[in-house]
Amino acid sequence: MMGGTWLSNLDPRAKLAVALAYTLVVALGQRPGPGIMALAASFALYILSRQGMGLLLRRAFSVNLFVAFLWLFLPWRLDWGGGPVWRYHPEGLALAELITYKVNAIFLMTLALLRTSRPTELIHGLAHFHLPAKLLALAMLFYRYVHVIMREYWRLRMALKVRCFKPGNNLHTYRTFAYLVGMLLVRSLDRAERIHQAMLCRGFTGTYWLLDHFRWHRRDTLFVLVSGAGLAALAVLGWRSASWS
Amino acid sequence: MELIRLQGVQYSYPDGPPVLRGLDFSLSSGQRLGIYGPNGAGKSTLFQAAMGLLCPLAGEVWGLGRICRREEDFRELRRTVGYVFQDPEDQLFCPTVLEDVAFGLLNLGQSREEARERSLITLNKLGLAELGDRVTYRLSGGEKRLVSLAAVLAMEPRGLLLDEPANGLDPEHAARLERVLNESGMAWAMVSHDRSLLARTCDTFWEMAGGRLRPLDSV
Amino acid sequence: MHISEGVLSGPVLAAGGVIALAGAAWGLRKLDARNLPRAALLSSAFFVANLVHVPLGPSNVHLILNGLLGILLGWAAFPALLVALALHALLFQFGGFIVLGANTTNLALPAVLCYLLLSPLVRSANRVTVLVAGFAAGAFSVSLAGIMAALSLYLSGSAFLTSAQALLLAHLPVAVVEGLITALVLGFLRQVKPEMLRGMG
Repeated sequence: MMGGTWLSNLDPRAKLAVALAYTLVVALGQRPGPGIMALAASFALYILSRQGMGLLLRRAFSVNLFVAFLWLFLPWRLDWGGGPVWRYHPEGLALAELITYKVNAIFLMTLALLRTSRPTELIHGLAHFHLPAKLLALAMLFYRYVHVIMREYWRLRMALKVRCFKPGNNLHTYRTFAYLVGMLLVRSLDRAERIHQAMLCRGFTGTYWLLDHFRWHRRDTLFVLVSGAGLAALAVLGWRSASWS
Repeated sequence: MELIRLQGVQYSYPDGPPVLRGLDFSLSSGQRLGIYGPNGAGKSTLFQAAMGLLCPLAGEVWGLGRICRREEDFRELRRTVGYVFQDPEDQLFCPTVLEDVAFGLLNLGQSREEARERSLITLNKLGLAELGDRVTYRLSGGEKRLVSLAAVLAMEPRGLLLDEPANGLDPEHAARLERVLNESGMAWAMVSHDRSLLARTCDTFWEMAGGRLRPLDSV
Repeated sequence: MHISEGVLSGPVLAAGGVIALAGAAWGLRKLDARNLPRAALLSSAFFVANLVHVPLGPSNVHLILNGLLGILLGWAAFPALLVALALHALLFQFGGFIVLGANTTNLALPAVLCYLLLSPLVRSANRVTVLVAGFAAGAFSVSLAGIMAALSLYLSGSAFLTSAQALLLAHLPVAVVEGLITALVLGFLRQVKPEMLRGMG
């Protein structure tokens, strides 16, 4: 999930702060110019993160499905003048274009900054932002067991295949998938019980401890300052009100 | 009749070392193959490759005398060869025993009544009739193992792939399992690290070593 | 329905954020040492279950199951969905972190409503009642999630009207399938582990 680049060596807390600030600034932008600049900056950073074109294309595809949906529907309005008539609204088109820049700029930046750290490190980093310990414990356990449950899911799928199951539009299919989900839930509950018992056996009294192991370096300060300056410029350029209706 | 043949199959798990290194394997009607090997040697991987549950990096898989490359080819094979998983937990997911045994039959296109009939007959044959309405999740380990076998046998396959069938079974259920298998008249390939079980149930022996199968005179 | 990052307007994002925060805070209070692993593992299972795609006519749909999640977790559905959606954003870039509040609210509010309105029925001894409650939960939670997502769009700008309408319409067939599957899952749980239907207690 990482790369050996300087991006993966940055303190996760710095990256979290910059990524969040960036997302906020870009998401609230209302003009295409800064949107294009943001897109260019994200793309450049993504290239520097050296995660390959394959990933970019796959993500670009899935992320832009919703954008494509908007392109389809934003430029049109049903006007009920004399009878229902579809009217073309150019400002809808402009909005679709703006959204395209913003959505893609943001997902690229997320890949460049957040995918270059381990999720567990990012969760630890969030602890420094004073998020509630329980929420982070929830996130940690969640992430820890996602892979285990994923494997169980795949084994159950194999069990279906091996007994010649073929999905179709019928009750048998829906029932089978329902049983699959049910089984995952039942087993997860059992596992949760065992986790609770394991925690008790090791003296758990209600406090979730997280080990502090980040060291802030000068390069992190530099990164935050430079990014901050860039974002401030982008914000000034982008935050001129324009209504979307 | 040849049921399954693997030729020169190679496989490694993603980011892992090679598990199958040019493996050859063949199961035909009437054969009872015992495959011995320690844990992690790749015995389950062999079965998964044979059933098309994973895609080999090299080599060929033949089912019922025809080469199997796509999912549709394997579907035919799976109607004829049953695979009993190592962990019955992974194989039982319907709420009741009867439903789980009927599942495969429904997939084969039988009607609900037919599937129910067949399932009851199979459970009876295995001496599991009283378990019909029980919740699979609450059965004992031994009962789960026998039910997972019943679920595969109900489909009336011509051959079986058995992955550590007696693992964790108490002596009573282990004996029942062996009896059922011996009386079924079916061909099988059984994988186990239990030499005595292999000796009692199989007639030809192989050893899994270095990602390949090597014949053994005896276990 | 994940709304992508960069689509909704400031006020909508803020409102979504506030509601999600309040809901999550309330939900977290209900999580003690015993219930926290349960909430984590169950929402993890739901995350994996979201991968299941079920045939619907000529194509497939992904299961959302927020109604079921609500019934099993109660108010803890808020922090659970918050975490699940945050991970969707992190791992797959579905949705995002600023729109996290809005996306969480759109899914969690219906989930909790299902819990408040339907959990007594789900604990009924009568099998048919449980199945009907399950269908209601699935259909209602997905429809409401669709309505809220459509509303989020429309409140971000009236240019989104047609898109909002299309989004809402797209949710309706999904709502029926989810109702069916939720009913079947509840039927399964009732047979296999009925204690689960009594919620987190």
